[in-house]
Amino acid sequence: MDKVIPKVIEVKNAKKVYRMGEERILAVNNASFDIYQGEFCCLFGSSGSGKSTLLNLMAGIERITSGKIIIKGKNIHRMSERGLAKFRQKNLGFVFQSYNLMNSMTALENVELPLIFKRIRTKKRKRVALEMLQKVGLANRVNHRPKEMSGGQQQRVGIARAFVAKPEIVFADEPTGNLDSKTTSEVMRLIKEMAKENNQTIIMVTHDRRLAEYADKIIHIFDGEIQKIEIINDVGGSL
Amino acid sequence: MKISDLMKMGIKNLSRRKARTLLTVIGVVIGTISIVVMISIGIGMNKNFTSQVMEQGSLTTITVTTYADLPSEDGEYGGWKEQKLTDELVEMIKQMENVRAVTPVLQKYIILYSGKYESGVSVTAMDSTLYNEFEFPPLEFGDMTLNEMKDNIIFGSDSIYEFYYWGGGAGKSKDVDISKDKISIGFGDFMTEQGKKVFKQPLNNVSKLMHTDNWEYDYNAFMDIEYFKMLYLKYAKTLKIEDRKKAISSLEKYDQIKINVNSVSNVTKVQEQIKELGYQSSSLAMYLKPMQEASKMLQMVLGSVGAVAMLVSAISIANTMIMSIYERTKEIGIMKVLGCVIKDIKKLFLFEAAMIGFLGGIVGITLSYLASWLINKFGAPLFQALLSGSNMYDMGSTKFSVIPIWLPLLAAGFAMVVGVVSGYYPAKRATKISAIEAMKTEG
Repeated sequence: MDKVIPKVIEVKNAKKVYRMGEERILAVNNASFDIYQGEFCCLFGSSGSGKSTLLNLMAGIERITSGKIIIKGKNIHRMSERGLAKFRQKNLGFVFQSYNLMNSMTALENVELPLIFKRIRTKKRKRVALEMLQKVGLANRVNHRPKEMSGGQQQRVGIARAFVAKPEIVFADEPTGNLDSKTTSEVMRLIKEMAKENNQTIIMVTHDRRLAEYADKIIHIFDGEIQKIEIINDVGGSL
Repeated sequence: MKISDLMKMGIKNLSRRKARTLLTVIGVVIGTISIVVMISIGIGMNKNFTSQVMEQGSLTTITVTTYADLPSEDGEYGGWKEQKLTDELVEMIKQMENVRAVTPVLQKYIILYSGKYESGVSVTAMDSTLYNEFEFPPLEFGDMTLNEMKDNIIFGSDSIYEFYYWGGGAGKSKDVDISKDKISIGFGDFMTEQGKKVFKQPLNNVSKLMHTDNWEYDYNAFMDIEYFKMLYLKYAKTLKIEDRKKAISSLEKYDQIKINVNSVSNVTKVQEQIKELGYQSSSLAMYLKPMQEASKMLQMVLGSVGAVAMLVSAISIANTMIMSIYERTKEIGIMKVLGCVIKDIKKLFLFEAAMIGFLGGIVGITLSYLASWLINKFGAPLFQALLSGSNMYDMGSTKFSVIPIWLPLLAAGFAMVVGVVSGYYPAKRATKISAIEAMKTEG
């Protein structure tokens, strides 16, 4: 008997409606699925399909119109703003398409940032952040600012920042969208390696079929609705 | 976030935009200087008024004089009246509330003899047991404790003039040390009857007061009134009959009644009670009050000029912080997504605003001391022109700007409060930024 792999994220009938003046746009409609611990899940769809919105809903960045999103047993849309911030500190990491690094800070300071919010002591913080930068191969770029680095390097800083606090879940929104194909595979390998090391769950949004190949589970989205869930590697044992 | 990290981040943000921070800080500096300097000038004036008035006596003293000036309705001189000051009146005043001490006073001019050399001093004869009540300054030498005779004589610091010998044409002067040399006193109010010896009483118990800036103490000698009366009666015996009568009757009416009140604020009350008895009295507190009111007004006016400058700098802080929020929209969004608590974002902006206020306050205070020094050093001609008509200013040593210790503390606190208050709205705005929108902006 295999040990039971717990569900980390449960999405139940998630719905998101935008209002654009008089018009209502249904960005996510009635999405339901589960993600298991350690799973690499890909939200796959063309641009405008609502996949990014779904990710933002899961991360608690956008408000949900109806339905539930339960992460680690907690309905994140029922949390207070402060509670959600604390929850993010502890459990969530983010990688963005446009890196979203602090331009005024060095690579090291950027990686330190989540630890600062977590009130980690300076000495420990620096050590951990430095280790992280070494892991992503940027040991010689520690004191560079984002503007002084290439796109691939910036995204590696972004990855270091996402993983530094050892969150259980890392969200990645088109992490290689701005990168060339060689760097893309480097970055993808890096994310996958990192996640494996600590059995972290990855939720990645992409429109690139080749990237979806890295995933254990691919959720196809079209016009805000889930078309099919393709399981490549059955982590949760649901089949 | 830990406070130390928050502060580090705030200081970094400020130093990132040095020029703008500097300009905003300069605004606060100007605001602080104008408030501190303006208030210091107001305080300086008030101090001058008070010390000028204090030079003429104690503020808790009321004097009733035989010849009393009457103020008219508008506070100007309105003639005078003669009032009889008797022992009964003294007793009545003694019964009044808030009165600490009352003494009748005789004022006469006495002659001092040192051998054939003479000098003179005006003497105030009063109840010698009340010296302490009337806040006599400390002694330079001698002893104020009274013996049975109460024959002490206390000279004011500047009451003794040179001794002269008038015989043989031009006067010859001589230095007399009253602490060592033998001195006698006498009176010159009337001519001594022919054939009688000129009255002279050797002094045994001489002391001298330290210098104060109070004329009343510095230029008078003090004696016990009973002892003085006894001497004067002795003196009267050396006079012709008609003069003797005049001399004796001059002792019956006092020149003044001096009253000491327990606090400055009760002076007016006691004066009103005396007025009910039909007597006109005067006090320095009476003169000081309108002066203090005027200087309070002046302080208010000057202070509000400073406050306007501070208001302008508050607006400039708010402006700087709002600009900085626009620039940092994306950063705020990132911070939020990474799990920064909203309270911390607010604190960060408030800290930056307070820092601007604090820096401006500190620099402003430092420069205020410089400005105050310059005003005191070189401001005399200006103030002379402004205050022409008031001849009371001793321009040499007067301070026009006085900064008491509480003023810089208050100003620094105020500058910081201004920073926090004007940073509050921008900080609140920063917390309202939606993370998702913020991250889409370029920057």
